[in-house]
Amino acid sequence: MSLVHINIFLAFTVSLVGLLMYRSHLMSSLLCLEGMMLSLFVMATMTVLNTHFTLASMMPIILLVFAACEAALGLSLLVMVSNTYGVDHVQNLNLLQC
Amino acid sequence: MFSSLMLVSLLVLTLPIMSSIFNTYKNSTFPHHVKNTISYAFITSLIPTMMFIHSGQETIISNWHWMTMQTLKLSLSFKLDYFSMIFVPVALFVTWSIMEFSLWYMHSDPYITRFFKYLLTFLITMMILVTANNLFQLFIGWEGVGIMSFLLIGWWYGRTDANTAALQAILYNRIGDIGFIMAMAWFLFNTNTWDLQQIFMLDPNLTNLPLLGLLLAATGKSAQFGLHPWLPSAMEGPTPVSALLHSSTMVVAGVFLLIRFHPLMENNKTIQSLTLCLGAITTLFTAICALTQNDIKKIIAFSTSSQLGLMIVTIGINQPYLAFLHICTHAFFKAMLFMCSGSIIHSLNDEQDIRKMGGLFNAMPFTTTSLIIGSLALTGIPFLTGFYSKDLIIETANTSYTNAWALLMTLIATSLTAVYSTRIIFFALLGQPRFLPLTSINENNPFLINSIKRLLIGSIFAGFFISNNIYPTTVPEMTMPTYMKLTALAVTILGFTLALELSLMTYNLKLEHSTSVFKFSNLLGYYPTIMHRLPPLANLSMSQKSASLLLDSIWLENILPKSISQFQMKTSILISTQKGQIKLYFLSFLITLTLSMLLFNLHE
Repeated sequence: MSLVHINIFLAFTVSLVGLLMYRSHLMSSLLCLEGMMLSLFVMATMTVLNTHFTLASMMPIILLVFAACEAALGLSLLVMVSNTYGVDHVQNLNLLQC
Repeated sequence: MFSSLMLVSLLVLTLPIMSSIFNTYKNSTFPHHVKNTISYAFITSLIPTMMFIHSGQETIISNWHWMTMQTLKLSLSFKLDYFSMIFVPVALFVTWSIMEFSLWYMHSDPYITRFFKYLLTFLITMMILVTANNLFQLFIGWEGVGIMSFLLIGWWYGRTDANTAALQAILYNRIGDIGFIMAMAWFLFNTNTWDLQQIFMLDPNLTNLPLLGLLLAATGKSAQFGLHPWLPSAMEGPTPVSALLHSSTMVVAGVFLLIRFHPLMENNKTIQSLTLCLGAITTLFTAICALTQNDIKKIIAFSTSSQLGLMIVTIGINQPYLAFLHICTHAFFKAMLFMCSGSIIHSLNDEQDIRKMGGLFNAMPFTTTSLIIGSLALTGIPFLTGFYSKDLIIETANTSYTNAWALLMTLIATSLTAVYSTRIIFFALLGQPRFLPLTSINENNPFLINSIKRLLIGSIFAGFFISNNIYPTTVPEMTMPTYMKLTALAVTILGFTLALELSLMTYNLKLEHSTSVFKFSNLLGYYPTIMHRLPPLANLSMSQKSASLLLDSIWLENILPKSISQFQMKTSILISTQKGQIKLYFLSFLITLTLSMLLFNLHE
């Protein structure tokens, strides 16, 4: 694989690890989610442009749209938690109450 | 000469309105100008009428081409035929007398010039209505008389009842207008025109729908049963308004419309039966309601409604010319009855309740005379005015092949006419006075005397005069058994004697608690009480429930969003056994992922 691909793949892996291992703030997990999405986007765009595969050039844009939706969903969950507790520490989520 | 004179007489009527921008409007002589204008217009219109009676030549004046919409040509056209040529002088004569009367009646009103302007505008729109040759112009006149009626009923707008009554008049007329517009639309679709000539020439089959629409319009405008409560409520207006609009002129517009369409109606038996039954119900119902009213103007209003029902019955037995004759004769004595009641009301210091009148027989001789003669003419005493139209109607109805029940209703209503007329005379004129002792009863104003005198002479002679000078139209039934010929007279005399006997017998009795029949009659058959409260409440509450409850809160809020969230919450509480610990779950996921990646990549 070329260096660029390895670079972006590394960015993706770092974000993935950051998504799954974090201390206490839920927000950092969401930020890493966005990072993952960003690296995927760049990877897809570069591949499509390099291979001149024009038919698939809408794929990154649609990926962006769906990522926006899921970011909104994640933020609404964050706001729900923050409404109840004031902060978004993950250790608060131990009561299954609504 | 004929057409130009007619146009001149119609044009003369509009002059005082246009002069309202000049200074003459601010003078106190403006009402006199208006009255003189109408008398000149009356005299001018007599000449074309006499020419018409002599030659029998009908005219159509088509002046001004307004617009053409694809294949429909709208122009200003006047139809001067039998009906309009005879109605115009009659209406102008009656209006002249009423204007003179209102010079006396509204003398102390600060806005008397505006009052006369409104009356004149009403007269102009009525003239537009009767001389219209196409449905569009007729509709202009139709709406115009409705608007002027609204403005004039609510003349004393500080009074809540007057405002309600004016609004009631507009609403009921509007419901009738729906029928009118439906008829206009049907004619436009099927005969491609709004001109009466073309409609009658094409003679379409299946005219049920437009004639139903016209019948609905007549029901609204002429206060037939179902759309009738506005007419008694319209007595909130001043007496000249009641005399002009709601007895002689405006309320006959509906009947006039049906008469105009008589070539279509004579071929449609269904509509004729409907008209007959509607008129019979109206005339009987309103006559019953008139029996126990206590306001003198309301009794006369119900009398008008009953006579309108009689006119509709006449159309129902396919006699439009007789109905028209009844319109013309009715105008005279009904306007006079209203003017006499106005004279009584003003003399007794605005007292309208007949239970507080009495003994006016000697105190107001002229008014008494005209009231009695008006009532006699109304009931159809031989050889007064009402006889020439009313008796002919009853005779024709008796000898025609028609609905016997409707006939019976009409006969009963005729006898009830005599009953409530006797009631008015008995309570208002006879007996001992029941009003306050300090009164200023006088009838020495020349305006009052002259106007009533003119209509009095009209009430006595106009029937004879008109019916001997018109050319023969439909031939009245000449042969019938003696008992049939005397039916109308017999029921009238029966009504008179019965009413007098009952009144004298019960005059000194104690007031009993009202029977249910009395309450039915006094509260107008409970029709306004029910119809003014129940349907609006039902409509409004149904629409509120369907709009805000059904659409908004159920369909938009509850069906998907709230139900999903409720369901999810309940089930998640029910079936989950986890404790939180998100970091542990994420970590295990990462380790699983790494492990599987390593295994699969380093395998080969």
